[in-house]
Amino acid sequence: MTEPRWTSYAVLVAIALLAALPLMTGSNYIVGIAISGLIFLAAAASLNLVYGYAGQLSFAQLGFWGVGGYCAAIAVVDLGQSFWFGIAFAGVVNLLLSTVIGIVITRTTRHAFVVVTLTFALLAGLIARDWVGVTRGPLGIPGLPPPSLMGFAFDTSARFYYIALVFALIALAFLYSLKTSRIGLILKAVKQNAPLVESQGIAPGPYKLAAFVIASVITGMAGGIYAFNLKVIDPSFLDFYYMQTFLIIVIIGGAGSFWAVVLAGAAMVVLPEALRFSNELRMVIYGVVLVAVMMFMPRGVSGWLEDRRIAALRKALR
Amino acid sequence: MEVSATYLLQLLLNGLMLGLIYALIAVGLALIFGVLEVINFAHGELLMLGGYAMALTLPLLGLSYWPSLLVAVIATSLVGVVLYEFFLRHIGQAEFERSILTTLGISMILLYGMQYLFTATPMMVDTAYGFDGVEIGSIRITLTRLIAGALSVAAFTGLYCLLKFTQFGRAMRAIAQNREAALMVGIKPRHVARNAVALAAALCGLAGAALAPIQLLHPAMGQAMIFKAFALVVIGGLGNMTGAVVVAIALGMIESWIGGFFSIVWQEGAIFVIMIVAVLLRPDGLFKRGSMRVG
Repeated sequence: MTEPRWTSYAVLVAIALLAALPLMTGSNYIVGIAISGLIFLAAAASLNLVYGYAGQLSFAQLGFWGVGGYCAAIAVVDLGQSFWFGIAFAGVVNLLLSTVIGIVITRTTRHAFVVVTLTFALLAGLIARDWVGVTRGPLGIPGLPPPSLMGFAFDTSARFYYIALVFALIALAFLYSLKTSRIGLILKAVKQNAPLVESQGIAPGPYKLAAFVIASVITGMAGGIYAFNLKVIDPSFLDFYYMQTFLIIVIIGGAGSFWAVVLAGAAMVVLPEALRFSNELRMVIYGVVLVAVMMFMPRGVSGWLEDRRIAALRKALR
Repeated sequence: MEVSATYLLQLLLNGLMLGLIYALIAVGLALIFGVLEVINFAHGELLMLGGYAMALTLPLLGLSYWPSLLVAVIATSLVGVVLYEFFLRHIGQAEFERSILTTLGISMILLYGMQYLFTATPMMVDTAYGFDGVEIGSIRITLTRLIAGALSVAAFTGLYCLLKFTQFGRAMRAIAQNREAALMVGIKPRHVARNAVALAAALCGLAGAALAPIQLLHPAMGQAMIFKAFALVVIGGLGNMTGAVVVAIALGMIESWIGGFFSIVWQEGAIFVIMIVAVLLRPDGLFKRGSMRVG
């Protein structure tokens, strides 16, 4: 589906509004939600690349998120490097890790793929808890210092917000250009008709691996930034809750649809906060929404809208 | 460290009990996968519901073990029927990812719903048996553990007979082996699938109820178990019930021995390492996938 002509204007307006957000509100609470929202969105959009485009339901993203968080924290606290180095370090470690894992698991069946990626995520959680020498175990690494750039410290929520905003915009722009690139087109084709793509002399394997690796790097860097937003990292950073949140955003928007996932991300971060539910009830609502979407519109809101559009076209033709 | 034969034997027995409980969960997962080609993410929550059903009915029935156990098993198998009729029934054979996400959503509702109702604080469950134990030589084993082990063995025997000798079980195996052929001889896949889910849920409820007096009960207990059960089922070969049982019992003992000699890190991590190695060497699992052979 081609983008409507007004999309670029809408994006510019959204960016302008987002850039002005901390100036419009003095509330740290709202800015805090916006920070999480932007970071979750970058992670969810990467998951969309793996699941939505490459068609691989990967739970390993949670592991990469955690690895990224720990790498960034350890680079700053133990190695005495800057925040920026830490984020880059998180990206590089995830690049290597996801390449090794990706080569192994892109060969398995899709049933085994799900279970193996899940196992990787849980193993990462166990390592975070039990490898006390490096991760400090359950105590975690508290007191992560605020990032600074050339003497300017990002020490308030409003200032940190811009790091999250810039990161999310770069990540989304990159994922968007990837979607329209050759890689994105081939992934889309593979999902629609893999044998046809193979008959054209294109092996899907390397493209799927590339999607997996790119998504893992972005998710890892997002995790690194999120750890510094929390100012502490401990094994709860690998709680399954994060994975569920990313998944919900992708599923509701509609796996494989770029803008719908972006909008769903905004909605799913803001809505439960606006209604101020307890954490448990919020997860119950996520669960209900997930089941309802899977039952009634398995291709997410975007798929449902497209079906409506096609139905309307058919009706008009008759 | 002094290693005595008694200690080894004690570890072996503990591991066997643990492995039998794992097997109850894994065999249900394998059964559901064999018949429906669905990996049930909410399976761990069925275990947790079984445990809570036991914990809630025990005080009502004056701490008597057996009626409460029966209530827990019936309750979870009803949850299984609801799970099938309302959700799994609508999911097609090829929609594997959809089935995972649906059951994940159900698992979230059950887990966080229970956490909201009962808080995350662990519960202690007391039965009429309390902490009574049996002593065999110098090895001591609590009565509740012994009963849990015996119940699992009885359940497996029952399941084996059910699948091998009854029409109910033959239909289930037939569907798993060849859906089209089964349809042609008049087997209704919908009934068979419902029975399979109810049966798997009942096994899970039994495991949860048997586990309740042994360890602390908390809403996330199912999640901790289910991930291991997934790994077991993959190692054993997806959908292969014998494989699931064998691997589960082996793992229980391996975990127990590792836990007895090394730090807890290795105990928890062992299964995942074993699984990654197993998948690398044999992507389809140690036992052959497909046909749910029971003998």
